Amino acid sequence: MSRPGFVLEVDDRTPPLVVHEGEGFRLESFPHGTRVIYPPESLPTVPDVDEAISQALLHPLDSEPLPALLRPGMRLTIAFDDLSIPLPPMRAPDIRARIIEAVLTMAADAGVDDVQLIAANALHRRMTADEIKHIVGERVFRSFFPQGQLYNHDAEDHENLTHVGLTDRGEDVEINRRAAESDLLVYVNVNLVAMDGGHKSVPIGLASYRSLRHHHNAKTMVASHSFMDHTRSHLHHSAWRMGRMLSDHLKIFQIETTLNNDVFPDNYKFLMKREWEWSLRDQGSMLAARRGLAVAPSRVRHRMFHDLRAPYGLTGINAGETEAVHEKTIETVHRQQLVEVQGQTDVLVMGVAYLGPYNVNSTMNPILATCMALGYYFNSYRGQPLVRRGGAVIVYHPMRADFNQLHHPSYVDFYEEVLAESTDPLVVEEKFEQQYATDPWYVHLYRTSHAYHGVHPFYMWYWAAHAMDHVDDVIWVGADPATVRRLGFRAASTLADALEMASSTVGPDPSISYLHNPPHLIADVR
Amino acid sequence: MMGPASVVRDGIDDVRSVARGWRWGRRPLVPRSAEAFVPEVEKAVFPTAWSRKRPARVLREVAQKGGLEPVFRSQVRTHVEGLDNLARVEGPVIFTAPHASHLDTPLILLSLPAQWRRRTAVAAAADYFFDTWWRAVGSAVFFNTLPIERRGGAIATTPGDVLAEGWSLLIFPEGTRSKDGWMGRFRMGAAWLAVEHGVPIVPIAHRGTFAAMPRGAGWPSRLPAETRRSGPGRRLMSSHTRGRRQLTIRFGEPLHAAPDEQVGDFANRVKDAVATLLDEERTTWWESRLRAGVGTTPDPGGPDVAAWRRVWAQTESPTVHAQPRRAWRSP
Repeated sequence: MSRPGFVLEVDDRTPPLVVHEGEGFRLESFPHGTRVIYPPESLPTVPDVDEAISQALLHPLDSEPLPALLRPGMRLTIAFDDLSIPLPPMRAPDIRARIIEAVLTMAADAGVDDVQLIAANALHRRMTADEIKHIVGERVFRSFFPQGQLYNHDAEDHENLTHVGLTDRGEDVEINRRAAESDLLVYVNVNLVAMDGGHKSVPIGLASYRSLRHHHNAKTMVASHSFMDHTRSHLHHSAWRMGRMLSDHLKIFQIETTLNNDVFPDNYKFLMKREWEWSLRDQGSMLAARRGLAVAPSRVRHRMFHDLRAPYGLTGINAGETEAVHEKTIETVHRQQLVEVQGQTDVLVMGVAYLGPYNVNSTMNPILATCMALGYYFNSYRGQPLVRRGGAVIVYHPMRADFNQLHHPSYVDFYEEVLAESTDPLVVEEKFEQQYATDPWYVHLYRTSHAYHGVHPFYMWYWAAHAMDHVDDVIWVGADPATVRRLGFRAASTLADALEMASSTVGPDPSISYLHNPPHLIADVR
Repeated sequence: MMGPASVVRDGIDDVRSVARGWRWGRRPLVPRSAEAFVPEVEKAVFPTAWSRKRPARVLREVAQKGGLEPVFRSQVRTHVEGLDNLARVEGPVIFTAPHASHLDTPLILLSLPAQWRRRTAVAAAADYFFDTWWRAVGSAVFFNTLPIERRGGAIATTPGDVLAEGWSLLIFPEGTRSKDGWMGRFRMGAAWLAVEHGVPIVPIAHRGTFAAMPRGAGWPSRLPAETRRSGPGRRLMSSHTRGRRQLTIRFGEPLHAAPDEQVGDFANRVKDAVATLLDEERTTWWESRLRAGVGTTPDPGGPDVAAWRRVWAQTESPTVHAQPRRAWRSP
């Protein structure tokens, strides 16, 4: 029996609470009265994963069964979410591997020869062979990768992009040519959070910069009130228009999966428990982890976290027509992540953990940390933001100016050149985006190395635009002051200092809410 | 990476923080707003039959006489009355007493004659004394405890089994410790057991345990300095007794359920007997009898006054005169 999420009010009985901060965590004593929002416990998983996959493919929503869509001589393309989800990466076998195997088994039975598999990485970095193998499984990898039939999508390969048309708002719909010209496109998704999936899968995951710029821009992002609610997010409205237009041209068979909240393996299980329920063993594990992290060299510390594989369990799988499937998916995601919260708060406290969608096997640089805090966590609400307009946000993260040169080369220049001039998303977009998006060196690195696209740091900054527009103060605890200043924020040593600094914005006795994640949660703010 | 000194220092700080936050050595607490979300734990069935076998009995004798009693007597003074009532009955019996403190059990056990003490088991709340293995083993060794489910659930050995084996039982019919030192509602479990198994109930009254170690306290308190001095009606304390709080205990006459007596009626009779014993503790046997005869025994539940006054009244340790008061006063 899984317990629902709930809102704790800190009192004299409350022990110190875990707050993540990059590759580490601390125990923080919050002022009495602080509201702490805890995610629901893990939902029960499906009893038989293979059976659930089979049932979903054979009894899809608003679609013929998958075997009925397969025939000899057809062009079948299977696209799948890249390594940006789930977080942390799932312990093998990844759910996508099991689904793709099931799809391929049916395709083989139907005599389909022309099959290609494409990682829907949009402007994300190309995955390495090992990363792809982890997602699709060894069997699929061995059958397709050496033959060049399993590969990353290339949003800069203009020969292999198809401009399908324009939406009724004039938005370009341009996606991967192989996918666009297939008789059937099967999309395999992991719907980790509510903003994933639906029409965000194909029209964004397989798109080009020309198409993405219509919704990945500062204006749309500021107007996207809750990315976790696709009915209220302008970004999603645009993606939905594109998806509906695409579905007139292309048969898409969408497969969406939902996972439970088991984000940490056994050794770190205490991080998912409510602190006052920690056993002596949990307390010992926590103390050991803290000491281990304190003495470990940074490379070891990095490995300790980035080698974690989540023992996620499957809570649901739906297949068929995209919108019908997504409706069911969102129901399950909400059951797993939604927590009802009464009213907004003056100060929202968040701890940014070591991992976000764009630093898997990489470094969380300050721009990505900002995106995690102000883009993802801040936007993890339904209804209205957890913090009131004009309120303050306090975030924990070291914010060291460490960049992974292989994965994030354009981030370095974005930090050194763009943010040095302005931190205003609109100004940044107007003045620099085109230059970075079309820079030949960044394009070259994106296409041939493992670099995020040149425009990617801009998108990260736009993710945070709604939060930056909404709150008056962003204070980083335990952060490098110079880095934080560069980003246009303020730094504090402790929570007490941060609250003192925020008092000029929210007064001396503000209401405080702490978003206790991971695991993921969505605050349903009433 | 940090220097060795700061690693050690931070490690010590961490341990201190955890020890304080998670109340090491004390019972963990749940934040008030989280109490509604505490999961139903699967009740562990803790077997205690071993604790009544010979090896455990020997161990208990050593633990009680060699450990518990010296420590207990170094912290409190006791005054025992009414043991002659036990000579009128053969075991097993059910001892019932009000419950005001964790001192109640050692006070009663260590006041019993050895042959009774060695054959007496204590009914203890399973959710409190048997929630961890070490607490369960510790209480079973020291006090011969037997888990009782206050909220329903499975137990390995029932109190009836223990009575049937010839063991006497100590039961606190209130089911929990008093919050203000006054007696609460008596549940009917003890009376039901007595009727069901045809054993007598020996009522017990005691005073001073709440004053010495109320709920929340982990060790008996000492008397404030000014009250240590001898006063009128009190004998000079020896250096050995100085500062220790006084506890008194009085065993009453065994009560047998009448052949047709209902459990509820018998339970009331037991409660009245305890109330009369408490009255006797404060006054004399004869005065308490007179009041019992006309139904004016003071309510053991205490006066209907402000909460602080109820607590205040119970925070004073009883006094014991150098010479026992006689039941018949001189004119």
